[in-house]
Amino acid sequence: MTAAARCVVVAVLLVAGGCGGGGGDTRETHIRLVVADKNIRREGVECAGARPFQHVHADARYRIVAGDGGIVAEGTLPAGHAENAEPEIDWGVERIPTFCVVDFEVDLPQHPRYRLRLDRGRPLEFSAPPRASDEPIVLVVG
Amino acid sequence: MSGGARVLLLLGLALLLAGCGGDDETPGGAADLPGPVPAGTTFKDPPPGALSAPPFAAELLDGTRVRGADLWRERPLVLVFTASWCDRCADVHAEAARAVDEHGDAIGLLGIVAEDDREPALGYAEELDLGHPVAVAAERVWLNYAAREPPVVVLVARGGKVLRGWSGGVGASTLSRRLAELLAPEPR
Repeated sequence: MTAAARCVVVAVLLVAGGCGGGGGDTRETHIRLVVADKNIRREGVECAGARPFQHVHADARYRIVAGDGGIVAEGTLPAGHAENAEPEIDWGVERIPTFCVVDFEVDLPQHPRYRLRLDRGRPLEFSAPPRASDEPIVLVVG
Repeated sequence: MSGGARVLLLLGLALLLAGCGGDDETPGGAADLPGPVPAGTTFKDPPPGALSAPPFAAELLDGTRVRGADLWRERPLVLVFTASWCDRCADVHAEAARAVDEHGDAIGLLGIVAEDDREPALGYAEELDLGHPVAVAAERVWLNYAAREPPVVVLVARGGKVLRGWSGGVGASTLSRRLAELLAPEPR
């Protein structure tokens, strides 16, 4: 192979790498879905949304829609875990008022705005996280 | 097709159909309802002032209609509010079944799933294979029993008084002890 041909091959590989390769312009984003149900649970226990938020549970389908209406991510939720709803209060007992928090990661292409849709409940709107931020996107159900 | 081949084909079809039918064997269906209360079994009366269990009607996974009042008329009944997607619920349900099974047909057990869980609950019941019925109940039944999030276990005395509820479930040994307390000692 001549040097010129080798250059062409390298250029083609570089272009192909930029076009494919794990979604190019997508970004792994941590979403923290907080069900503000204040249900009484042991802290840390596996949970789902308490009524009337029972549609937030393990295996429930979600879709993330970009501002233009296209679906940019979809999947099923993992189980949540119970977190103290009022951490400033020392309840002094095992079972306390909690929120059910569902953490999951999605690959999001760059868009200014998104909506998280579950099979029930109103869509939850959020903006693209700042480039430098590692903070999760916190969405509150309730 | 020869006569022999036709007979073989028909026989094969018959066997196939027999294997595919068996609606009576739907896990969590009517076949899993308890038999008669064992002869000589007597129960203590519930404490005075106990609240009446909210009446309900529901459909078992095979479509059989049941009423709470029929299930607790002759024996105590353990209700397990559960869900197919909830791993913890399956453990709690199995623990409850273990406690109930220690007392044979003297105690009833009914799993209850939400209406939107009907189809997945078939797989849930099949996998758990507890030999106890599972019903699909309307949202108001959950709310009437304050079952905001599965698993919730509720113990109903014979005759329909609520004795105890456990939000988040209860272990087999604790439940078994509570069930034993409901049985009156045999007269000497």
